[in-house]
Amino acid sequence: MNIISLIVSILLALITGMFFLGISRKIMARIQWRYGPPVTQPLIDVIRSFSQMGVSHGKLFDFGIILSFTGAIVLILFLPIGKLCALTSGGLLAVLYLMLLAPFGIALSGAASANPVSSIGISRQFLLSFAYEIPLLLILLAVMTHYNTISLVEIVNIQANSGWAFGSWVLVLPGIAYLLILPAILGVRPFEVAGAVQEISSGPIAEFSGKHLAFVTLQHALHVFAALALFVDVFLGGWTLFGLLKPISGTIWGVLLGIIIFLIKMLIVLVLGIFVNAVFPRFRIEQAMKYLWKWPTLISFVGLIIVVLVN
Amino acid sequence: MSLELLLIIAFSGAFLTYLSGKISSKLRDILAVVISLVPVIILSRLYGVQTEAVYNHNYLGLSLVLRLNPLAWFFAIATVSLTALSVIYSLGYMKNRDRTDYYYFMMLLINASMLGIVLSGDLLSFFIFWEIMSWSTFLLISYNRGKAIAAGKKYIVMSLIGSMAMLIGILSIYSFTDSLNIQIIATQLHTAFSSYKLFLLIIFSITFGIKNAVMPLHTWLPDSYAESPLPFTAVLSGMLTRMGVFGFLLIMYVIVGSGTTLHLGYGFLSFNVILAWLGAITIVIPTFIAMLQNDAKKLLAWHGIGQGGYMIVGIAFGTSLSVAGGIFHTLNHAIYIVLLFLSVGAIQYRTNGLRDLNSLGGLFKKMPIAFMGGFLGICGLIGMPLTNGFVSKWLIYKALILGHAPFLAFAALLGTWGTILSVYKFLHNLYLGQLPEKHKEIKRAPLAMAIPIVILSLTILLFGVLPGLPLKVINSIIVSVGFDALDVSVWGIASDTGTLNMINIFAAIAIVGAIVWLIFKVARKATVVDQYDNYAAGAAIPQDKYNYTVDFYAPFYRMARPFLKDIFDSFYQKIAEATGVACETVRKIYNGYVGNYVMYIVLFLASLIFVQLIWSIF
Repeated sequence: MNIISLIVSILLALITGMFFLGISRKIMARIQWRYGPPVTQPLIDVIRSFSQMGVSHGKLFDFGIILSFTGAIVLILFLPIGKLCALTSGGLLAVLYLMLLAPFGIALSGAASANPVSSIGISRQFLLSFAYEIPLLLILLAVMTHYNTISLVEIVNIQANSGWAFGSWVLVLPGIAYLLILPAILGVRPFEVAGAVQEISSGPIAEFSGKHLAFVTLQHALHVFAALALFVDVFLGGWTLFGLLKPISGTIWGVLLGIIIFLIKMLIVLVLGIFVNAVFPRFRIEQAMKYLWKWPTLISFVGLIIVVLVN
Repeated sequence: MSLELLLIIAFSGAFLTYLSGKISSKLRDILAVVISLVPVIILSRLYGVQTEAVYNHNYLGLSLVLRLNPLAWFFAIATVSLTALSVIYSLGYMKNRDRTDYYYFMMLLINASMLGIVLSGDLLSFFIFWEIMSWSTFLLISYNRGKAIAAGKKYIVMSLIGSMAMLIGILSIYSFTDSLNIQIIATQLHTAFSSYKLFLLIIFSITFGIKNAVMPLHTWLPDSYAESPLPFTAVLSGMLTRMGVFGFLLIMYVIVGSGTTLHLGYGFLSFNVILAWLGAITIVIPTFIAMLQNDAKKLLAWHGIGQGGYMIVGIAFGTSLSVAGGIFHTLNHAIYIVLLFLSVGAIQYRTNGLRDLNSLGGLFKKMPIAFMGGFLGICGLIGMPLTNGFVSKWLIYKALILGHAPFLAFAALLGTWGTILSVYKFLHNLYLGQLPEKHKEIKRAPLAMAIPIVILSLTILLFGVLPGLPLKVINSIIVSVGFDALDVSVWGIASDTGTLNMINIFAAIAIVGAIVWLIFKVARKATVVDQYDNYAAGAAIPQDKYNYTVDFYAPFYRMARPFLKDIFDSFYQKIAEATGVACETVRKIYNGYVGNYVMYIVLFLASLIFVQLIWSIF
């Protein structure tokens, strides 16, 4: 059972993540009155990249990519997807730390080349992560303090009994703050500072080609999946839907339906993010940091204070 | 094997090493390594032993007490092992320098005195060993002359203030209990007023706060770390500074006792809460200041202060989970910070003392072992999963979150996420990016320097995957000072509110990593090209010109630089200057003219007569 859930969650995350990348390009195109590429285009690109001969700058260059993709997959294993959760050890704190592995791997790999553009991109990526991690940490601390647990599975289970965190007045402010920083976590405009294509040739991934590029694309898909899954787990109650699954909980149908509900919630959040992405121009890095340290931080800080006062 | 023999070997070994240096430097090197390794062997054989030895020497009716318990053993073994590695490293690093006899002498003397501190069972010997340590540290910090003398002065002044505070505390304890034996004091203090206990805690906190560089008493540390000879900096940052943590544990939980320490005051205004908040400030501010540093050793020094904050928060918060986390973090921090310093030292050794982050880069192919050390060191410092730092930080976070202190937890988490920025800059500017032309011919670190780096790197991974090994000892420490035991297994820590099992994480990363590596190997092979064969949108990247290292986080610096100043340091400097001016004024009284001195005497007598005439008090 455990092995199956391991493999299923990895495959599910990869397929959904690639589908999300495809559908976001499609929706973007429709908003901008274009026809857009087919939804399967990112998958086709990955397959093509694998078949192409790439360029490598040596062992560290390869190691960084492997570390990054491994980190992304291991992160997925620690997130509850519907009722599937392969590993639980360490709880949300371990998840927070595992989120570091993927960007760190790319940073190692990108800087192993001598391309200054990669270094600039990495520096921006770390600054942006630091900027959004401050509200993110406050948000997650508010949730962990309110539910008095550090386990993600338990956070989802409590919401199944007492309603979504986003719906409760105590945790609504952290939820709003998470929505505000979500574009930054996904790395889409207006926060597309690290991978700015026109400015620094896609930044950290400028040197990647062939299988390296394929792995980075897959890693990006998993990252999008993880960021959305974390939000759905923490604020939108994971697999729960107003007690709809109560009668069939425990059966295989309950598990399957739970996953489907989970994915639909993720899709809705993603579409919201794409709307923002489609209409905003790009921030400069200072503007991005100032924005992230102003409203989202303030809101989540107030949220944390409310949580402390309520408890 | 008795404890006094251990101390005698350590102390006399230091002198012998100095004398043997006068005969031959080869003999001295061998002797230094042997003398530093002997305590490691003896102590590892004493694992789990609890003894006490009392020596009456009829001085003021006091007796010298040495005792070994889990707390002492833990700090002792960490101290002597890390010093031994540093001494081995010194064989390479200090080669062909002058005054090496003196260097090894001081190094081993400091080692012996730290051993004495942790093994002493009475406050008098504790104080004596503490002073030997402080003074010999001063001598080694100033070893390089020049700027180092100023750094040493700063250190010794602050250290003396701490020692005087401790002396006051010891004298007051002696007058209260008529004994300096720690166990007797601990039992007799039960009857004391809590205000007296608070006084003791505060006065000893000054001493240990200065040693452990708790804000606002941290100002000696950055200069001392930056200017002292590098293998000693490793010892200084690894264990010597952490004697402060040992001291806090001793005064808070052994002497005063956890029952009292955690209940002194009301709500927020209690001793341990304020100390925990000082620790939180110590985490956050230095982490931000570290981002601005361009000197590799100074960057690590500021992290040394910041990581010390985690230990203080853990110990002051006072649940068994947090205290265990604080003690474990002391060990973990020692391992990775020593590793990082040694990694910097390898570069310094090969580039004639260069440690400026703006003028290096791209060394990872030239110095792979030093790079590995630097990489694993910063992973430990961040607390990446599978490195030792992860486990201790996890323990502290969990204790803070479930102990309903989310703001303290936020400070701790913020410290970690700020750390990522500065340590990545550290790694990038030393090892990644472009290799400057003048360092093309650089060679690997010599064997004596590579061995400690490899050992420490492996230890980081070992304690990251099998945290139970040290946690078992730590568990017996916290039980011995009156906390509940933790459910520790070799893989991690179990509890009803969330389990940490490193075998899960290790297996997941190892298996997934192996599969990804396999796919990577099977996929079409990539052509390996030169590092400079880059994509630059049609242009060419000139070699050695466009290295992105200076102002690595320029946008952030522009925003943050005005706010990040060490105000305490400038405040203390001002006090020091004002004292200098005052002393200069007083000195003018003694101007060398006999006539003036006669005038002083006459004026003094006149004032006496005046007083007698008016109030007639004599």
